[in-house]
Amino acid sequence: MIQAEQKNMVEVNGLSVVYRQGKQEVPALRDVSFAISRGSTCALIGPSGCGKSTLLYVLSGLLESYSGRVLVDGAPVAPLRRETALILQDYGLLPWKKVYDNVGLGLEIRGVTGKERSTRIERVLTEVGLWEMRDRYPSQLSGGQRQRIGIARAMALDPDLLLMDEPFSSLDALTRENLQRQLLDIWKRKRMTVVLVTHSIEEAVFLGQKIIVLSGHPGRVLSIVENPRMGEAGYHKTSAFHALTTELREKLVP
Amino acid sequence: MNRRLYVNLFWTIASILFLIAGWQLLASVMNKPALPGPLVSFYTFAVEISGGLWHHFVVSSYRVVISLVLSLALAVPCGMIMGREERVDRSLAPLIYIVYPVPKIVFLPVLMALLGIGDISKITLITLVVFFQILVPIRDAARGINPAVINSVKSLGAGRWDIYKHVVWPAVLPEVLTSLRIASGTAIAILFFSETISSQEGLGYYLLDAWSRAAYPEMFAGIISMSLLGFIIYIALDYLERRACPWKYVQL
Ligand SMILES: Nc1ncnc2c1ncn2[C@@H]1O[C@H](COP(=O)(O)OP(=O)(O)OP(=O)(O)O)[C@@H](O)[C@H]1O
Ligand SMILES: [Mg+2]
Repeated sequence: MIQAEQKNMVEVNGLSVVYRQGKQEVPALRDVSFAISRGSTCALIGPSGCGKSTLLYVLSGLLESYSGRVLVDGAPVAPLRRETALILQDYGLLPWKKVYDNVGLGLEIRGVTGKERSTRIERVLTEVGLWEMRDRYPSQLSGGQRQRIGIARAMALDPDLLLMDEPFSSLDALTRENLQRQLLDIWKRKRMTVVLVTHSIEEAVFLGQKIIVLSGHPGRVLSIVENPRMGEAGYHKTSAFHALTTELREKLVP
Repeated sequence: MNRRLYVNLFWTIASILFLIAGWQLLASVMNKPALPGPLVSFYTFAVEISGGLWHHFVVSSYRVVISLVLSLALAVPCGMIMGREERVDRSLAPLIYIVYPVPKIVFLPVLMALLGIGDISKITLITLVVFFQILVPIRDAARGINPAVINSVKSLGAGRWDIYKHVVWPAVLPEVLTSLRIASGTAIAILFFSETISSQEGLGYYLLDAWSRAAYPEMFAGIISMSLLGFIIYIALDYLERRACPWKYVQL
């Protein structure tokens, strides 16, 4: 089977995750199944504590104790898959590294060196408009700039699967919209597969071609909503956009 | 930046002058030969340092610096591993817990009997004490690293070695320097103690020898030398912290 012919980038079948806390067992996900096709975007939404981060950890390969079948690009998920990138909410950047070295960290770890590394760092930093900030430390940046550096660091790896855990939730409304648009632009250019965890219904409809709604505790798939008009110019001003947010809100808060 | 440097310098000099003035006042009031004033003390210091005192100063500095470097080389890797590898920590923690509160200084006679009265027994004693003073804070700092930071670096493909190199080491570095600064005071105190017992070299010996001859200005020359040693180490560590942890000193 040639990998490029895999239609689905992510296939999850009967996934369950149980955390062990001493003697207690905390079920986090139960019998979750869905598929995300290559080059599309998917938003994961659900009440706090329903296992969204857990699901992302499984997809990234960091969490290995699960039951069920999880395929990424046709193969069982592996911890060091080089083309997967994960962006966490706040803790992505290392405070002791300058912006430039933070962005280059993934490349350094993967053994990309010299000219190749510096060109890639320059390219992604220019793409997010922060090349001027390369000699600063993360503490010298605003929250929005830090999050853009996080995105740049992930993009430096040329990922085909981008996993994001509430990347914009700590930002003010204006910055958030700005970054959502920027992410959309990047996706339109690169067409990597994006899985985005969010607690904002508007963000889910704005950025997810597919929206997976999880129910609370343990997380199960409540419904999967297709959103084919995502990415259209001016979509967020249409009544269809608002109808969908209302529909989702009713699913989440019955 | 430069302005701040001058202000700092001004206050440092002012503090030194203040201390010397207090010393002079105390000496004048008490008027005892055992407490000579700063003038005669510094004069004796200047004369002695170009004579025999210099040798003792070098010997003591050598002992302290070697001990600090040795403790650092042992405690930093041990602390980082104990903080990160739960299994290692679980088997070693009880040992540390029992040994930590034991006053290691009581082992000086044992060490002298086993290792002789030269440098080695003194360096071993200081290292023994300082090792634990650095080990415990480093272990706790390594343990306290936010797991989200570790995960985000792991997701970049980092193996165990990368995590130590890019996350654990820089995360504990400020703690290393802080604990070292605290430990340097202890190290000099233990050095002094060990040099006063059947020793022929070092500032502790010099000081006690001056005392037994009732050569009080010389005794104070020894005290000045010890203080100077402590001060130099302190400044060196401060400088090192600024060089090694630049991210902590950026202007926000
Ligand atoms: N390491 C852990 N040990 C034990 N239980 C855990 C652990 N991590 C998460 N849990 C539990 O698993 C459940 C799912 O957690 P998860 O972080 O995936 O939720 P989430 O949907 O991301 O929540 P939020 O929206 O608040 O970020 C929660 O009930 C949480 O308490
Ligand atoms: Mg979460």
